[in-house]
Amino acid sequence: MDIPYTVTARPDTGLYNAKVGIWLFLASEVMLFGGLFSSYIFLRVGADYPWPVHELNVTLGFVNTLVLIGSSVTVLLAWANLKLRNIGKYKMYMVITVLCAGAFMVNKSFEYKAKFQHYSVTLTDGTILTGHLPHGYEIEFGDVTTLNLTVAGKHSAVDADPVDYVVPYIKGEAPKFKTESGEEIVLDKASFKKLRAEAHDKAVAKAKADGLKETPNWNVKLTAASPITFVLPPSKLLAKPTPGATAIAFRDGTTVEGKMINDKMTLEVDGIDLRATPDKEKSLAFDEHYLGEPWKKAFIDQREHAIAEFNEKYGDGKGGTTRDPLKSATHQKHMFFVPIHSATPEVHDHAKAEGEHKAEAHAPAEHAEGGHGGHHPEVHLERQHVHFFSNFTPKLNSYYAIYFVLTGLHGLHVVAGAMVLGYFVFFNGRMLREDPERLANRVEVGGLFWHFVDLVWIFLFPLLYLL
Amino acid sequence: MADSPQEIQKQVKKILLIGAILIFFTVVTVALSYVELPSHSLNIIVGMILATIKAALVALVFMHLNHEAKLVYKILAFTVAFVLALFLLFYFSVSDPLVFKDF
Repeated sequence: MDIPYTVTARPDTGLYNAKVGIWLFLASEVMLFGGLFSSYIFLRVGADYPWPVHELNVTLGFVNTLVLIGSSVTVLLAWANLKLRNIGKYKMYMVITVLCAGAFMVNKSFEYKAKFQHYSVTLTDGTILTGHLPHGYEIEFGDVTTLNLTVAGKHSAVDADPVDYVVPYIKGEAPKFKTESGEEIVLDKASFKKLRAEAHDKAVAKAKADGLKETPNWNVKLTAASPITFVLPPSKLLAKPTPGATAIAFRDGTTVEGKMINDKMTLEVDGIDLRATPDKEKSLAFDEHYLGEPWKKAFIDQREHAIAEFNEKYGDGKGGTTRDPLKSATHQKHMFFVPIHSATPEVHDHAKAEGEHKAEAHAPAEHAEGGHGGHHPEVHLERQHVHFFSNFTPKLNSYYAIYFVLTGLHGLHVVAGAMVLGYFVFFNGRMLREDPERLANRVEVGGLFWHFVDLVWIFLFPLLYLL
Repeated sequence: MADSPQEIQKQVKKILLIGAILIFFTVVTVALSYVELPSHSLNIIVGMILATIKAALVALVFMHLNHEAKLVYKILAFTVAFVLALFLLFYFSVSDPLVFKDF
């Protein structure tokens, strides 16, 4: 059966059918993104933190804008060449369009990866340090000689499974363990299965002897041949350990006693944000165990420089300024956000003053790509000083939440558009030969969707990257 | 619909021109975002005006909304009205007309 009005317009609507369809679809898409832009406005109006401006990688965003505009042009050129029956050129422009979509997504993945690997640590006095965790966040707990396993009597979410939940975090090679019956074992799947079966049998026997209705949990003690040290992220524990903890519990319910050797967080600092610190010069960041005096001096220098610059720019000649410094977010950032690009503060004030503008434009996020060179001072933060830490993901704040939602949804649209256009050029060969006019209409409709994706980006780019 | 080869050739020129204008406006938007206007709200307003111009060019020229059948405009009229309502919702986050005025 032939589908009517795929090439010619239907008399009553004045359009071929697919076009009515795509416009109805785009109308609902406008509502979808409209709702999200509306939530962006709410989140921005209600944000209780300085809304990030120029914090994303502007260069990547700019390149992606060019890529999308370019691909909007090429999809139209493809359509025009198909109309003119320049088949070679039609195919070329379609392929370029699909490649542009690929380039956009590759750029996007760089951007996302940088955010996932970049961390923000809020100290207890409100100071925020940004940077990288060179080995994630790991604690070291040592002097452990005994593992206390709990084999659950009945089916339970928490049940002894030391092979998966405990052994992987032993520093160095795992020692042999002695069971309660004096047998020496290497803790692996097979030996634990046996151990577990024995414990279960004992529990069942006990239940029988005592006349219990349910099989009780059974504790198993394993003694290590030599003391063990564990190195693991706190997230692998049942509960976050307190400073100086003498016991920790793993996720399978296994507990061990020992000594907290190191629960400090090693951070390669690439920025100090003092905007929320009440007493900025006494910030924890400038503690002698952390960044210390030199960086405090660098901060004070930068602040003075920022004030001088602001007065020069907005001075009214009578000692006042024509602009409220408290209301200039940029000025606040220049005063209280110290970007860090070297292991020690630069000494030359001239070089610093020149470099600053450039640094401000990219700081702090762009250094996420910078890798883990020796360009940043390393601090070992004590747990008791860390109020909150997160990578630059929705967990950090509502800006990153809406950023990932909006760009993620937009990215899915790019992928979908590329699939549709790719289908037309790679799988519609027969229609190209037999009914090119119908294919041209398909390309036009697919192109309309593609322009819409471009149109959304036209708003996303300034809202998230620039303003 | 412009279907004759001459018409299409003409359109191609127009497409390239609009593409260049869009890139130009993008550069302007990025540059202006680094200029501190009297207030940051003004930066946002100017940025959004530029974005709206770009979006209008895409919609009118690339998406042929400058010459389209009536039905499309009818569909879009509803969409525009609802989206505007959505954007104006934020008014309730700064002022609550239902409760006390001067509280």
